[in-house]
Amino acid sequence: MKLLEINQLAVSYGSIKALHGIDLELNKGEIVSLLGANGAGKSTTLRAISRMLPITSGDILYNGTSLIKCPAHDVVARGIAHVPEGRGIFPSLTVLENLKLATWTTQKSNLANLYSSVFDLFPRLAERKAQLAGTLSGGEQQMLAVGRAIMTDCQLVLLDEPSMGLSPRLCKEVFQALQEINKQGKTILLVEQNANMALKIAHRGYVLENGRIVLTGSAEELIRDPRVKEAYLGTHKHALGANTGN
Amino acid sequence: MEIIIQQLLNAAQLGAVYALIALGYTMVYGILRMINFAHGDIFMVGAFIGFLLATTVNMPLVLMMPLTMLLTAFVGIAIERVAYRKLRDANRMSLVITALGVGIFLENFVRMVVGPQTRQIPAQLPDKILTFGSGLVVTEDKLLIILISLALMTILWLFTNKTLMGTAMRAVADNADVIPLMGINLNRVIAVTFAIGSALAAAGGIFYGQAYSIDPYMGIDLGWKAFIAAVIGGIGSIEGAVLGSFMLAGVEVFTVAYLSSNLKNGIAFGLLILLLLIWPSGIMGKPMIKKV
Repeated sequence: MKLLEINQLAVSYGSIKALHGIDLELNKGEIVSLLGANGAGKSTTLRAISRMLPITSGDILYNGTSLIKCPAHDVVARGIAHVPEGRGIFPSLTVLENLKLATWTTQKSNLANLYSSVFDLFPRLAERKAQLAGTLSGGEQQMLAVGRAIMTDCQLVLLDEPSMGLSPRLCKEVFQALQEINKQGKTILLVEQNANMALKIAHRGYVLENGRIVLTGSAEELIRDPRVKEAYLGTHKHALGANTGN
Repeated sequence: MEIIIQQLLNAAQLGAVYALIALGYTMVYGILRMINFAHGDIFMVGAFIGFLLATTVNMPLVLMMPLTMLLTAFVGIAIERVAYRKLRDANRMSLVITALGVGIFLENFVRMVVGPQTRQIPAQLPDKILTFGSGLVVTEDKLLIILISLALMTILWLFTNKTLMGTAMRAVADNADVIPLMGINLNRVIAVTFAIGSALAAAGGIFYGQAYSIDPYMGIDLGWKAFIAAVIGGIGSIEGAVLGSFMLAGVEVFTVAYLSSNLKNGIAFGLLILLLLIWPSGIMGKPMIKKV
């Protein structure tokens, strides 16, 4: 069953075209990875879905209804959570306040369940509930950002580079959490430069290049594809795969 | 001794009025990184709305004050909606100039409607003279002004720290771009901030008009003082605005009492320069760290 359907989506920044009419779809329960180099249009795609960016042409259907006329803050109420690049936590608020803010559109009767599912998934956040979010480590901040997405009680999570700036071990921890969330029924659209990590947990993938989808297929197909291997998986000197700098 | 306590109460009364104005500066700065230079004039508009309600329909203070705060809140919301929203992503300088323009508009609009004369809001607070101990004399209205102001500040503190909307206001100051991703309408949070800041300024205007006098240009001088108080305390910080206001009022009142009324502003502003040399971002302000 199709959860998200993107048809001929085009986005421009002024006179510069960032997306040249891309097609993309997500089925319920899938993890789909969106791969590509810097500036390929990955973040732009996510920001267009969550309506943070104006769309030039094309359509985005979520559960069959168009999001084109939907303001960004209503997208969340429809069930889409966006974990932005750089995590976007509120550093001078406590961990608990960060989580609480994400419940703006959530049914209040559901709150207890949501808090416990966040703290089950990330026990470290429970320990640091009263701590200011700005004092958390990079990995903990990423967990908080994912935790906030859970608190919105969403069906679809858009994740923008969750591995950025994390050590390999923390990265693994975050990706395991994503798989767990997926098992609990959430659909995930994962933007990553770390194609290796992303394709390990994804069911399908798309490769973006200069604002166009150039390749799509199952995760296994993409891992084996020589073009992907060369560009993103580190069999080449200029591999983009490793991204663990802090 | 009694004289010193009396001067302290004078300072507390003036400081309370400064604080009620300074809070609006600091809250708007906190969320928009913008100095709302029209805010002193919103304070003046509040004073005149209170004046008109009290004189034309003889509204009692218990009704007049909340209604004035409500109406002035709508003035603040309207100013943000009409003059500032479109410029939110524009150069800060455009916003500052627009704010100055809005201020001049408000001054002249009020002058046109009610005339340039100095007025006084009819005193409605009980003004019995109370005597404590061996000759400490205080009027009831002074105590009430101080107490009601402190109560309003306490409510504001509880609102910003304990409610979801208050948390959202602090979050906007942190990272406004992410607010819509939490499902929160950023425009609504900003409107609420302007509403609260304007309502508090209106309360200050009513108190000021009861204790002193009002005219269409009163917002310039008082607005600057409150702005300076907010800067001394650390602009963006609610606690800082209150602290800075009482400090500034204290310096002014004691300079007048013991040195000279001519030196009042000179000493107050000299102190500002000194304090900012020690704490460049104000006493309770956070040093600005630009994220790269």
